[in-house]
Formats: sequence, C-alpha cells, structure tokens
Amino acid sequence: MNASEAMDPNPTTLNPTDTIECASEYIMKNRYRNLPVVDENFCYVGMFGVNCLLKQVIPKAVFLKQGLENVSFIHESFEDLFHRFSAVKDHPISICMSKEIEPVTPDTPLTETMMRLYKTRASIPVVDKDTCKLLGMISYWEIGEKILAAGESKDA
Amino acid sequence: MHSTHQVDVIFGLSPVLFAGSLFVLTYLLIITERLNRAIIAMMAAALMIIGGVLTQEAAVQGVDFNTIGLLTGMMIIVGITRDSGVFQYLAIRSAKVVKADPWGILVMLMIVTAVLSALLDNVTTVLLIAPITLLITDTLKINAYPYLFAEIFAANIGGTATLIGDPPNIMIGSATGLGYNDFLFNLAPIAIIILAITIIPIYFIWGRHLKAEPELIEKVMQYREIDAIKDWVLLKKSLFVLTLVMFGFIVGHDYGYQPATVAMFGAALLLTLNCLPHSQEKQTELVAKSLCDVEWITIFFFIGLFILVYGVETTGILESLAHQVITLTDGDKTVTAISILFVSAVASAIVDNIPFVATMIPLIKNMAASFGGAEELLPLWWSLALGACLGGNGSLVGASANLIVAGFAERSGQPIRFLPFMLMAFPMMLVSVCISAVYVYFRYF
Repeated sequence: MNASEAMDPNPTTLNPTDTIECASEYIMKNRYRNLPVVDENFCYVGMFGVNCLLKQVIPKAVFLKQGLENVSFIHESFEDLFHRFSAVKDHPISICMSKEIEPVTPDTPLTETMMRLYKTRASIPVVDKDTCKLLGMISYWEIGEKILAAGESKDA
Repeated sequence: MHSTHQVDVIFGLSPVLFAGSLFVLTYLLIITERLNRAIIAMMAAALMIIGGVLTQEAAVQGVDFNTIGLLTGMMIIVGITRDSGVFQYLAIRSAKVVKADPWGILVMLMIVTAVLSALLDNVTTVLLIAPITLLITDTLKINAYPYLFAEIFAANIGGTATLIGDPPNIMIGSATGLGYNDFLFNLAPIAIIILAITIIPIYFIWGRHLKAEPELIEKVMQYREIDAIKDWVLLKKSLFVLTLVMFGFIVGHDYGYQPATVAMFGAALLLTLNCLPHSQEKQTELVAKSLCDVEWITIFFFIGLFILVYGVETTGILESLAHQVITLTDGDKTVTAISILFVSAVASAIVDNIPFVATMIPLIKNMAASFGGAEELLPLWWSLALGACLGGNGSLVGASANLIVAGFAERSGQPIRFLPFMLMAFPMMLVSVCISAVYVYFRYF
C-alpha cells in the first residue's frame, strides 16, 4: 500500500492571498490544526495552521535563527498578544505559511508515510512530483480510522 | 624551528614559488568566500605538507597551541555561562537603567557590548546582544539599524582592549609573550577614548531622532530582568570560574602561566562544577553540548592558517618582505609603526584579519634585528593590534561579529547592506585609526 490509498483526496485548502485574519478565523472555527495552501493551479505552496498563528503573537526575536531562547522576563496580556496580531492580520498568509513540512508523493510506501507523519506531528500533503499539484492530505484521523477498519474487517 | 627536509623542486616549482603561490591562492579563495574558510585553510595546510615545503612534524610545530587553547577554553566557559541567562539580564538591566529611553538604550547597549567583547570575545557578545536588541527595538517600534550598527563598532572597539577580546590580540599575545596586563594598559585606554568618540557621530546621524511612544517605553520597563536568569546555581559557578580566569590572566603571566593554560583550566573547572552533581549519562550529554558550542570552524581555520604561514615563513619569503618594508620606510620605526597601523586597518576591512595577522606576526618578528632587538618592536605590535581590530569596523566583512549582526538584521527584515554600511563605517573606522596613530606616536615615540 502507498500514500495515495491513505489520503483524503478532497481536503479543505487555503489560498496564499487569503488574509491572516480570515484564515485564522476559519481554522479556529473548524478546529483545524493546519491546512494546505494551494495557488490558482492547485499547486501546493505551504501549510497554514495554529503554529503560524502563534508565531504572529510571539516576539519576532524568538524565531530568529540563534534568537532568544528564554523570554520569561516578558510579561504580557492577551491584549498585548492581540496588538501584535493586529499588526499583521491584513497581510496574506503567504508571508507566514510554513514551508518546512515536506510533502509525500502518491507512491510513497505506507510505512514511510507513517514514519513521516510521526516525525512531522501534523497532517502531511500528498503532492504530484511533476506538476506540484496537491492530490490529498494524510491526517492522523484518516490513518487511525483506516487501521482500525482493517482490524474490524479481519475480525468479520 | 625550520623544516630540515624541504625539497628543492615541488611540481616543477621552487619551494619559494610553490609556497608563495599557495599562500596567494589561499588568500584569494578566502576573499571570494566560495568555500568555507576552514576547508580552504585545511586544504592549504595539507598541500604545504604534500608539496614537501614542511614535514608533518614541522607543520605541527607551526601551530600556535597557545592561541588554540585560549580560544577553545574561553569558548567552553562562555558557552556554559550563556545558559545561565546572565547576558540577557545585563542587556535588559542596562535598558531599564536609562528608563528605556531609546538613545540611552543605544549608549548602554554599546557599553555592555564593548565590555563583554573585551572580557569574552566579540562574536559571542553580539550573538547574545543582537537578539535582545531586536526585541527591544521591536517593542519600542523603532528602527534597529542604528543599534546594530553601534553594536558592531562597540564589539570591535571593545575587543581591541584586551588580550582575549579579539583573535588578532590572542595571536599577537601568544607570539610575543605579551600578557593580559600589557594589552590592558596599552590598548584599553585608547579603546575607551575611541568608543566615546564613536558615540558622537552616531548621535548626530541617528541618536537625536530616536523617539518612542511612552506606552511602548513602559512595556520595556515592565520586563523583569531577574526572570532572565534561568539557572542561579549555574550563574554562581560560572561567575566564580570567570572571575578566577580573569584573575589568572592578570597574575598568571608573572608566574609563567600562559593564557591558554588559564583558559583551559577554567574550562575544565567549570565543566567539573557543572557535571559533578549529575549521572554519568547526563555528564556525557553536558560535556558533548559544551564541546559542540566550540566554534570548530574557527579553530580549524586557525590550525590550517598557522601551518600555511609557517610553510611560507620557512621559505624565507616573509624575511625578505620584512627587509623590503624596512627599506620602504627607510628604517624609521615611527613610519613603520604608523604604516603597519593603517595597512592593517585597511587590509582588515577587506579581508579576514586572522590570516592577515598570522602573516604579519612573522614579518614583524623578522624586523627585530633592524630595530635593535625584540623589545624595540612593542610599538609595532600595538599598531598591528589596533589596526587589525579596529579595521574590522571598515566593512561588513571586516570581522565575524559584523556578519553575525548582519545575519540577525537580515532575518528580522531590517537588512544591513554592504555598501551603505561601508559608506558610514569606513570613514568612522579611519577616524578611529587616526586617533590610534596619534596615540601610538605620542605614547611610544
């Protein structure tokens, strides 16, 4: 078995031009951890999720390479965090989406896909190697359901 | 001691031509930055041996283990101390001392950067100060550029003041036997004057325009610097060892203890204090982390360069160059010292000052006979130290610390561009070198 058999072929997607405010409200409302971002040709360009959102409300100096590792001396309120969020909320999500999650291809073997899912600790996109088109998403839930269903069908 | 097995012809070239060509090629490759500098230096060192200019035994003799030991020891000590959070504490405290006034913060961060650069090393210092600077300027919603620019200058000026502040000083100290106190008494006074004078143009260019909203200033004032200390026990151990090491640098010279011995002893002592309460497994983890914090790229760069320069030295190239310099300056020591100062400064602004100083050391040593002995060379050593350290301010590539600050600026979206930086920095660097020239002239001639 491979990734194409484990994926959800109709995932919810975001556009790179969606504003951070709009995308944030959407993922919050629907309790998504992260969603794939695709361009007008449905090519995969990155992921946007709760981590991107958190990144916008924490001081930038933390996320710089070799940046601050300890910010326990800063004491802020939710209003302070919202103030930081307000400064970027009208920007497109393309400025902050994550490009670190490496997609799998549809022919990636199931065990390799599982290992990648385990290491990524978030849903992973399945992307066509030649066209970069997003073919589907693999989430913990999809995989979990399929593993349990396999056990039930064997028992039956 | 020279190699006794130098061959007569290497790949159809005389040893002089082979070593000279290899030396020039290595310099050019370092300038292009196409390949990591440690790789270039190691390759050049290996070719010196393979080519037959040096035997392996001679190459090992060429490596100055006093410099290597001092650098490594201090890197281990600072790496462990950093984890206590004391440097963040100092930066925040200094900002609050001036009531978070934007200009006051700039001056205070300059002073903190200069002092830490003098006591530690300037690369570590900017690694610690730049992120906190970006946090403060981000909170105050002011441009970080003047702060980062000022910190680059402060790091290089502060580093000039002591034996351990900047690698050129470490190399000069090791090669000449000049101690911590010699550097402190001869270079610290002029470093303080230059730092004070450097603040003036920074004020007129940027400082007088720095303003922040009162509510943003209040936010900085709400930082609780005491919470920046992550580990009080580690802080106490680190400060104890750092104090001991500084004391060792000051008094050790009179008892024949080299700075490398003091630094390595300090590193071993701090590692012991840090590891002793933990299990064997945890100790391995802590030691591995501390050793990983050592900048091995710099260390291997030094080792390679020492072998390369020693190879060139054994061929007699540097000796004949020294004679040419003396001929050029008519054997006038004052002219030679001032020339070394300016040439070192300009060269250090263009190329890495480490290979430059590594080359200049044997060259200056070869001038001893012409000037009446090694003790007569002192003004030349101080000129080299001042030129090489202060010259680092001349351009963005002049010192490693500059590139680290530029990296932070780039990543924070406020890039420091090469040319605009140089247009401001180079004249300011020249002013500092002119002040140094006046100092060298009146103090030593």
